[in-house]
Amino acid sequence: MYVRALPTTDVNRNTEWFTYPGVWTTYILILFFSWLLVLSVFHCSPGMAWTIVHLAHFTVTYHSFHWKKGTPFGDDQGIYNRLTWWEQIDNGKQLTRNRKFLTVVPIVLYLIASHTTDYQHPMLFLNTLAVFVMVVAKFPHMHKVRIFGINGDQ
Amino acid sequence: MITIPYLTAVSTYFSYGLLFAFGQLRDYSRLIFDWCSTNNLQGYAPICLAHEDFYIRRLYHRIQDCFNRPISSAPDSWVDVIERRTTKSTRCLNLGSYNYLGFGSFDEYCTPRVIESLKKFSASTCSSRVDAGTTSVHAELEECVANYVGKPAAIVTGMGFATNSAIIPVLIGKGGLIISDSLNHTSIVNGARGSGATIRVFQHNTPAHLERVLKEQIAEGQPRTHRPWKKIIVVVEGIYSMEGEICQLPEIVSVCKKYKAYVYLDEAHSIGAIGKTGRGVCELLGVDTADVDIMMGTFTKSFGSCGGYIAGSKDLIQYLKYHCPAHLYATSISTPSAQQIISAIKVILGEDGSNRGAQKLARIRENSNFFRAELQKMGFEVLGDNDSPVMPIMLYNPAKIPAFSRECLRENVAVVVVGFPATPLLLARARICISASHSREDLIKALKVISKAGDLTGIKYFPAAPKKQEEEKDRIKLD
Repeated sequence: MYVRALPTTDVNRNTEWFTYPGVWTTYILILFFSWLLVLSVFHCSPGMAWTIVHLAHFTVTYHSFHWKKGTPFGDDQGIYNRLTWWEQIDNGKQLTRNRKFLTVVPIVLYLIASHTTDYQHPMLFLNTLAVFVMVVAKFPHMHKVRIFGINGDQ
Repeated sequence: MITIPYLTAVSTYFSYGLLFAFGQLRDYSRLIFDWCSTNNLQGYAPICLAHEDFYIRRLYHRIQDCFNRPISSAPDSWVDVIERRTTKSTRCLNLGSYNYLGFGSFDEYCTPRVIESLKKFSASTCSSRVDAGTTSVHAELEECVANYVGKPAAIVTGMGFATNSAIIPVLIGKGGLIISDSLNHTSIVNGARGSGATIRVFQHNTPAHLERVLKEQIAEGQPRTHRPWKKIIVVVEGIYSMEGEICQLPEIVSVCKKYKAYVYLDEAHSIGAIGKTGRGVCELLGVDTADVDIMMGTFTKSFGSCGGYIAGSKDLIQYLKYHCPAHLYATSISTPSAQQIISAIKVILGEDGSNRGAQKLARIRENSNFFRAELQKMGFEVLGDNDSPVMPIMLYNPAKIPAFSRECLRENVAVVVVGFPATPLLLARARICISASHSREDLIKALKVISKAGDLTGIKYFPAAPKKQEEEKDRIKLD
């Protein structure tokens, strides 16, 4: 089965890869396979496994989308050095399809994790905290906002 | 239009994810190790930010041996590639050099004249053009280039990359608009960023999107003041070096004429390589050179020399000669190199008394079309239009990049592989450049080696064309 890859107008090589076909599927497949991996390694209940996947997803995506700034290569001469990946994607335009998808995924993970653990503490508390931070970080109003100067520039 | 198998796309993203994850893990372990050890550079700022060279350290260095391979002979159709850390070199078939017309090595007309010019004028002019660096050869070169390209006047600089990055800031400044193709070369991007003008990008080779962008931008005006733009330049390339595609120049020129924007055509790869007499994409597509306002090109590809040129109206070239820093301050192009260009142009036009030029042009066209057709028959995904001597073979997966390169080198074929960030993340490729000096046997050997390497790495994404039709034709002939 073939797909067409149309060249995009995004010049930022750090975020342009997210506009090609197959990214969404890969993201969902990685989450699913990591759930299977956690289940097989830790021998825990499916609910605990989803909680672990949700929290690991929160750590990894918060660090790579909202904490690390700039691009992993030096070709663009540092013009994106003040912007996190989330602020660079789609050239800073808010509420595009990619951004909506990336906002929905942690919410769906939260729902699955809290449902499969039957809404018990302490998992519910941790999951709620994680999803709250994730979703607030992705609001359009938080574009380029640094609360209390955390992760701000020198 | 690149067609990817869906499974390949998913597996490529997954591979890159794995590579990045391992790179991050190694970076964190390095951080922990370094906490324990002390260094004596307290108080010094780091040379580069920690994550800026992440890609180079953790991904590029793993496959470093596939790039920067040193050679020890002229870049002819066969080249001596040095084995690293030894003094041995192996003779390999050269599919990587931009040696389109075969001027990259000894030529019976050009090389004696270059040696003569070297003896008379010496290797360097030791001065910039305006001080003492203009010789009669430079004047002849500019006239020769202007006549060849079909414009009233031309200016020549010593370096191809610097031609773009030094000239664009002189042509346009703050308050102007540059609309460039999304796959333009780094030199154009650097020049555009250095000029201070607003930059907008249109979808690669899509005149309809260019028109939409032009309409939108002209209606909006400058970013905050909404005043009309001072000038608008549309920058396109003749042949895109990573795709092998030829630009849709007639449509783009008509769109630009409609909206009164200037056209800047970068013919680095197309001058001397396409068109009946090698005059580039304007000749091939039948566009009048008076419609293209600024024509830029380099001499490194088809002419076997160095440097770049800008051709345009007499007023434009006069203005550039007064303002362009590459002309005023940079050392002029060395005189033997200039003589090489003049002799190469004379050979191409047949003014040396033989028809070697026409033969070379016919041969490169034949070679490119034959090679491309054979590769497509074998099932490879090859980009590029017919007649274009640049043909990228798609690899996609990051692991196939070093595999293909090393396997080909083992069989004595030197290919150039390109990955992220020179190409988009998903679309890594091996770029083949065909030359007029490749003979039919060379190409057949290359095809055999590439087919074997392709089978081993699994890059034949399309089904191979069936051979039954040829057998039937043979049977009919025998009957």
